[in-house]
Amino acid sequence: MIHISETATRRPKVFLWASGLFSLIMIMLVALPSIWPTTFPMLHAIQIDTDPENMLAADEPARVFHNAQKKVFSLYDMVVVGVVNEENPHGVFNKKSLANIYALTEFAKKIEWQDKQGKTQGVISVDLMAPSTVDNIEPGGPGVVKFEWLMNRPPASDAEALSILKKAQNLPLLNGTIVSEDGKAVALYIPITSKNISYNVVEKLKGKIAEFDGNDKYYITGLPVAQDTFGVEMFVQMAISAPMAMILIFLLMWYFFKKASLVVSPMIVAMVSVISTMGLLIVTGNTVHIMSSMIPIFIMPIAVLDAIHILSDFYDKYPRYKDRCKTIQHVMKELSAPMLYTTLTTAVGFASLALTPIPPVQTFGIFVSIGVLLAWFFTITLVPAYILLMPEESFANFGMVKDDKGQTTLLTRILHGLGRVTYSGAKLIMLAVFILIGVAWVGVNKIVINDNPVKWFAPDHEIRIADRALNERFAGTYMAYLMLEGPAESDDLGAYAKAMADDMRAQNSAPLTTMAPELAILAQQAKDKKQLVNLLIKKMEQRMETVSDEEWDSWDNALTWAGEYMNRGEIFKDPEVLNYMSRLQAYLQDTGLVGKSNSLSDVVRTVHRELFMGKPEAYRIPDSRAAVAETLITYQNSHRPQDLWHFVTPDYRKTNMWLQLKSGDNRDMSALIEKVDQFFSENPAPDGISYDWFGLTYINVIWQDKMVSGMAEAFIGSFIIVLIMMVFLFRSLWWGIMAMVPLTFTIGMIYGIIGLIGKDYDMPVAVLSSLSLGLAVDYAIHFLARSREMRKKFTNWKDTSEAVFGEPARAIARNIIVVGIGFMPLLAAPLVPYKTVGVFISAILVLAGIATLTILPALIRLFEGLLFKKNIERM
Amino acid sequence: MKHMLKLFLLLPLFWAVPAHAIDVMDVVKKANHMSYYQANDGRAKVNMRIIDAQGRTRVREFIILRRDDDDTDTGQRFYVYFNKPADVKKMVFMVIKNMDRGDDRWLYLPALDLVKRIAASDERTSFVGSNFYYEDVSGRGINEDTHTLVKEDDNYYIIKSIPKDPQAVEFASYKSWIHKSTFLPIKTEYYDAAGEKLRSYSALKVDMVDGYPTVTASSMEDHKTGGKTLMNYSAVKYNVGLPENIFTERYLRKAPRKYLR
Repeated sequence: MIHISETATRRPKVFLWASGLFSLIMIMLVALPSIWPTTFPMLHAIQIDTDPENMLAADEPARVFHNAQKKVFSLYDMVVVGVVNEENPHGVFNKKSLANIYALTEFAKKIEWQDKQGKTQGVISVDLMAPSTVDNIEPGGPGVVKFEWLMNRPPASDAEALSILKKAQNLPLLNGTIVSEDGKAVALYIPITSKNISYNVVEKLKGKIAEFDGNDKYYITGLPVAQDTFGVEMFVQMAISAPMAMILIFLLMWYFFKKASLVVSPMIVAMVSVISTMGLLIVTGNTVHIMSSMIPIFIMPIAVLDAIHILSDFYDKYPRYKDRCKTIQHVMKELSAPMLYTTLTTAVGFASLALTPIPPVQTFGIFVSIGVLLAWFFTITLVPAYILLMPEESFANFGMVKDDKGQTTLLTRILHGLGRVTYSGAKLIMLAVFILIGVAWVGVNKIVINDNPVKWFAPDHEIRIADRALNERFAGTYMAYLMLEGPAESDDLGAYAKAMADDMRAQNSAPLTTMAPELAILAQQAKDKKQLVNLLIKKMEQRMETVSDEEWDSWDNALTWAGEYMNRGEIFKDPEVLNYMSRLQAYLQDTGLVGKSNSLSDVVRTVHRELFMGKPEAYRIPDSRAAVAETLITYQNSHRPQDLWHFVTPDYRKTNMWLQLKSGDNRDMSALIEKVDQFFSENPAPDGISYDWFGLTYINVIWQDKMVSGMAEAFIGSFIIVLIMMVFLFRSLWWGIMAMVPLTFTIGMIYGIIGLIGKDYDMPVAVLSSLSLGLAVDYAIHFLARSREMRKKFTNWKDTSEAVFGEPARAIARNIIVVGIGFMPLLAAPLVPYKTVGVFISAILVLAGIATLTILPALIRLFEGLLFKKNIERM
Repeated sequence: MKHMLKLFLLLPLFWAVPAHAIDVMDVVKKANHMSYYQANDGRAKVNMRIIDAQGRTRVREFIILRRDDDDTDTGQRFYVYFNKPADVKKMVFMVIKNMDRGDDRWLYLPALDLVKRIAASDERTSFVGSNFYYEDVSGRGINEDTHTLVKEDDNYYIIKSIPKDPQAVEFASYKSWIHKSTFLPIKTEYYDAAGEKLRSYSALKVDMVDGYPTVTASSMEDHKTGGKTLMNYSAVKYNVGLPENIFTERYLRKAPRKYLR
């Protein structure tokens, strides 16, 4: 590998031009199909993916189930628009506000366009829920039941507006959902064709809202909005944070090496590495996801690390040789091994993320890993090449200056002092380490695993404000769905026919007894049970045409019996089942985790009540299947009969409870799942009914679980690999273990702090351990490699320590400062996960650096005999 | 009996009458008569299949009895008795069509033991969950819209109708294709304000029954939900001699078996 560096120093221009050309090709390969997709269909254009659902693989069972159920129940992702008026005593229930809401609804219904593939995208107008699109059912006087649009047109007066409120509050499906619990606000639920158009839809809605005057406040939220907005702001992050990191790193290095033209070289390395990595990512058809958008900001500080080591060493050594070529040769010889190893460990640390079951995290890990290797290659070739291209004269006053009085820089003095402290206070340092580990352990045990995509935005972001405003007033903007399903029916037609024939004979009905023998024959012709009974019914109907009027009634009853027999499978018309569902809903409400639940049982109970003059005591499930069926068919006489199929399948074998949650925290969803498990185990469901979850809020929990366990595996995996590499590098088990000490301590500390300060263990925090492992070990490698190397020149550690806390410690310290500060621009991002990563990565790297410079020398001091046994023997 | 009837295919070209100026209201009146008022009364067995966008099918089966008050194509009564699905068997829906005010509609729910009058507020709601509206079943008053003849070809009068009270309906206009020789509307399309199709009705089959051209299969498609409903008529009979008194509240609970067999 020194060969490569030597080749580069011989042909510096070739290497610089080649890497420039390579970057240019990468840029072209991405730019061409992105700008002219039709001209370059064979190339991959840049594709943005903000869908957290994609945190799960496309064939992940929970996700497959989620999407299948959405289709079965015709459910779509929703944008939720809340309208609040804090000045009017009746809130938005006044003539003017409702007129605006009406206008907005009409506008929303028409949001529709053709996408590039010619597919219609936009709002699903038939399923839009707003005061003007839903039905009111109420008694319309004695013996009269009334169906009408809740708000057919804008109200003509404030009194009319209030009567709309009253009607809506009386309907359980609307109260808390369309009208707020305090009766002052309105919410519109706008289903959209797909999540990734929500930003578009929201922008259009905002345009319309801007036309309204008055003092209504409009809040727009919902998980799809949060997710899509995130994607848009992701670019802001990339556009702000990455260049800022670049500038910061440049300034820092300029400060360290005092020579702007020289520090341009690591910048080139960083640029070329970032462009190549991102280029490869896109060219290979990978999407730019929340995770992969962070790649540039990760590559950049890492890419300059090795360059800093080279420059640092070069800076310190140049005054000795006063010759670029000789100095660089010397530097490369000394650094090539540790640089290769630190690069490999970093690459392994990131590559370990490929072991997680989360596709975007895998992509992130693999490409950062590739980027790290590329950065290494560019560093060992371009940095020497660049130095050689600079005129020798420009180095005239270059290098570490130390005058006769021994006056040195602040950093040098601090490090010298630190070196002495680690020697004399080794035991004290170790005591402190043990105390800190104890504290960290307490913290780690307090860690709460939780995430919520809406909280990826800063608390003052409009989405967070809307989220709070709406969840304070309404039953909840986070949707989860609880699916209940009857057991699969056996398809043994013969057995069914026999059982039915027996049942028919047992009915004490002449027509049924007559027809019973037919079943065995019909069973040969029928494909399924339904067809079998239908064939029987057809036969009976034919016979009926010839029977006398006296017999007709008994035949008619027999026919009814057969029809009902066929419908026995429709378990969600069974009053017992519906009552069970009502109990489950009451239980859900009591958990405090559910703002409101909406189900088939509510539909039946409401219609039943309104059929019985709206009496509160009639709010119940009627006693027979036929009575349930009648309420359901009555409901279907409305403007929106299709709403029923959001709650139940037309075969009545599967039902869907729509739960509105006020919190989208995974912690709360997980608690709810547990509570529901408890309910089903304590109250066995009738008819062998089973249940399962779907909905975005639930999906988030699933991928979080995968993330947590996956990250633990990835971390353990990479820890072991890096440990083996260390043992191999140092050819010693003890030295290998030593190398792992600072990072182990650091990660323990960081997670301890996370637990102690009550920060949720969320997606970015989960990735941190693996992220930092490969980076944090670098310091230890440099420190230990250089220490061992230098120990050969000295008789004891005391003297060696003096030397180690010279140039090697300076290089490490410079690195700590550069990466520690290099990740800081993430704090400027408007999105919380980036901030979290920025803060903690900086903290980890700084802490790991400090741990390296304190714990390691202290350990060497304490175990000097053990560690340098061979050296002693040799002497 | 039905099989012996001569099947009247659509578009019998040789029937085409020579084009001459015709008053649009004449066409509308005739079409209204042919759709809802042929003979003094009638009965049919209707099989209704409601198919949603996912292809899932639900079946309803009912007997429909109809009796006109007189020959003026105005007052009229309907009695709809449900046979299927079995769990709503014996349910009855009854309409008394009024010219001066909204229709009176009644619903008898046997298992709940309830007779309910349905308030006349809105007749453009679903008929028992199908894509047909109540108004499609009982007929929309011809004076509720302004009609214009927009086109006339060899077979059809194409009439555009615009509601006089746009607030009361979900559509902005509709177009009907009225067959020139039978005056049966063969197709009707409902549009929203942007001119997009909301629903469309098609007569799929026309049979001659007792000398009356009768639609025996029809469909209504909802372009917004993607669902559609097919109606098949069998055992169609005209001039049955239905007495007026069976179209009363009393007969809701006690179905007139004689006419329903």
